[in-house]
Amino acid sequence: MKTLPLVLSLIVGMAVLTPAVRAAETSSLTVTFSGITAAKGVILFTVVNSEAAYGDKAPPSAQAMLPVTTKTVTKVITGLAPGRYAIKAFHDINGDGKMNANPFGIPTEPFAFSNNAVGNMGPAKWADASFEVKAGANTHSIVID
Amino acid sequence: MNRRQLLQSLSGVAASAILTPELAQAAAQLKQGAAAGINWQVAFADVDADLPRAPMKRVHGRAPGDLAGSLYRNGPGKFHRPGGSVDHWFDGDGLMRAFRVSDGAATLEARFIDTHKRRVETAANAVIQPGFGTAGKAGAQVRNADDTNAANISVMSMGGELWALWEGGSPVAMDPKDLSTKGMKTLRDDLVHMPFLAHPRRDPGGDVWSLGLSGTQAIVWRVSADGALKSADMVSLPMASYVHDFTATKRHLILILQPWIQDRMVMPYSESFTWRPKLGSKVLVLDKDDLAKRRIYELPPFFAFHFGSAWEETDGTLRFDGCFTEDARFATTNGKAFMKGTYEPEPTPILTLVTLRPDGRATLDATGVAAEFPRVDGRRSGDTRRYTIHATATAPNSPLFHGVATYDWKAGKSDSYDFGASQLVEEAVFVARPGGSDELDGWLLAPSVNTRAKATELHVFDARRVAAGPLCTWRSDHVLPVSLHGVFVKA
Repeated sequence: MKTLPLVLSLIVGMAVLTPAVRAAETSSLTVTFSGITAAKGVILFTVVNSEAAYGDKAPPSAQAMLPVTTKTVTKVITGLAPGRYAIKAFHDINGDGKMNANPFGIPTEPFAFSNNAVGNMGPAKWADASFEVKAGANTHSIVID
Repeated sequence: MNRRQLLQSLSGVAASAILTPELAQAAAQLKQGAAAGINWQVAFADVDADLPRAPMKRVHGRAPGDLAGSLYRNGPGKFHRPGGSVDHWFDGDGLMRAFRVSDGAATLEARFIDTHKRRVETAANAVIQPGFGTAGKAGAQVRNADDTNAANISVMSMGGELWALWEGGSPVAMDPKDLSTKGMKTLRDDLVHMPFLAHPRRDPGGDVWSLGLSGTQAIVWRVSADGALKSADMVSLPMASYVHDFTATKRHLILILQPWIQDRMVMPYSESFTWRPKLGSKVLVLDKDDLAKRRIYELPPFFAFHFGSAWEETDGTLRFDGCFTEDARFATTNGKAFMKGTYEPEPTPILTLVTLRPDGRATLDATGVAAEFPRVDGRRSGDTRRYTIHATATAPNSPLFHGVATYDWKAGKSDSYDFGASQLVEEAVFVARPGGSDELDGWLLAPSVNTRAKATELHVFDARRVAAGPLCTWRSDHVLPVSLHGVFVKA
C-alpha cells in the first residue's frame, strides 16, 4: 500500500537522534495538540526546517516526546532559528514507540502535520505543512485524532 | 491525466465549450433513445437531498397481506458537483433507501450515508477524493482507505444495525429506523480501516463471513450475528486478482481469482488492474475451520462481479454459479460511459455453473441465460439448492436489465418476466412466506426505474410464478438512481 512509506518515514524520522540547531537561539515555538480521543500514551513529533528534512533526508531541527494525559497537550520548543518549519506528529497511544499499522500497512494510530495539512495517500506536502517561525515567541496548533 | 483534466488545463478554454467525441456520442444516443421513448439517463441522475418517508402509490395488483418488513437498498446517489464530478458510476455517494411494506401498503425514504468523502466534497463543492474509477483532484484528503469510502455498494443487517458496505474500507453503521449514520465500524482496534467486501456470506442462522483484499493478501473476517468479531485471519492468494464477491458452502470459503490483476497501486483504483487472460482463472477453496487447508483449481479466463451461493455434493463435488463475461470491460468502459449519458452495447453476462471435482478438475457450463445480480433463497445459502434468482433481459437502446427471473438448475429452465426496455430493473431479493419452508416459497421484491413515468417503482412477484408478472406494483412520486444491492428485514 502507498501508505506504508508514510509509516516508515515517520518511524525512521523519530529514530534519528540529532541535536537541535543551536546556531541562533532567537525563536521559541509553543505547539498545541488538540482533538485527542485517547488521553494516554505519548505524542512523538519532529520539527523540521527544510523540505529535505521533511522527507527524512536531513536531520530534524527538534524532536519531542509529549506525554498525553489530557485531551489537549502543549510543548514548548526553544532554540529555533527564525525560518520556515513543518511538524510531523503521531500519537503513540499504546506507548510501544512505533506508529502501528493494520496488516495492509495503513496507520492505526492518529497522525497529523502542521497547518493540519492532509496528504493524498501519503504524507502532506511540505508546501502545505510548512509555516513561518518568527523571532521571539510563536504558537502553532494541530488537531490530532 | 484524464480527458477532463486535460481539457481544463488548456488555458482559457472552458471544457464545456469543446464538443468531445463522448459528448457527440451522448447527443446521438439521446436522440436515438428519445426516438424509442427511452430516457434511461434518469436512472443515473443526481439526488440532491435526502428523501423523507412518503407513501408509494399502488398502480397495479395487490400485495400479499402477510408480506411485512423493510427492503433496504444501497447504491450511488450523487455524481455531480459544480467544481467537478465523478468519472465512474461506482464513485457516487452512497444513498440508502428503505422500502417499508405492511398491510398491503408501501413507503419509500432515502438518506445519504454521512461519509468523510461526502463531507470533504460537500465542503469543496467538487468531487475531489479518488475512487474506483475517479482520479483524485487538487485538495484530495486521503489518510487511509476510509477517507475515500463511498459506502455505496450494499447493505447488511447486523445486530440491530444496518451496515452500509463498500469494498475497500470499513462498514458504516446506520440506524435502520431513520437511516441516520452512526459511523465507521472498527471490528478490532488493530484492524481499523481494513477493507470489508460488500458481499458477505451468511451461514443460515449463524456467522457472517467476509473478505478484504490487498494484492495477494486477504483478510478473512468471521463476525457473529450480533456484529461482534469472532476471528480475522490473513491468507495469501495465488494471484492479485480483483475480488468483488466470493462464495461459500457450509464448510468452505471459495475465492474466485480472475485474471484482472493488480500490478500496481494507482488512483483511480481500477487503473491498478490489467487484463491478463493468459494467466487463466483460479479458484481457491479454503476450509472454514482451518484456513491453512486449501485447494486451488484452474479455469479458463473469465470475469464476473457476482456469484450465487455454493454447495457440496455427497462425493465432495463443489458447485456454484456466477454471471460471467469474457473480460472486465463493464468496469472500465460503461461504468464511466453512464456518467457521460452514453453507453456502448456489450455482451451480456451469462449465468454459468462452475463445478469443482474431487479429482482436481474444474469445469464451466454456460446456460446461455442473460443474468446479473444473482441471489438465492437465503435459507439454502451454502446448502444444495435448485434455484438462482437474477436480473435478466437486455436491450440495444437501454442499458442494464429489464426483467426478473429464476433459473431452475434441475429442469434447466427459466421463469422470467420482461418489463421492456423502458424499465431498468434492479436486483430482486427473496422474502420467505411466513410459515413456508420450501425453496422459493415466498416473494421476490425488485425495484425498478420506470423511465417513462420518471419514477422509482417496487414490484412484488410470487417467486414460483415470475412469468405471471408482478402481483403488485407501487410507484413513488420520485425517481432515485438505480441501486445495486439490498437486504430484506422482516417486520
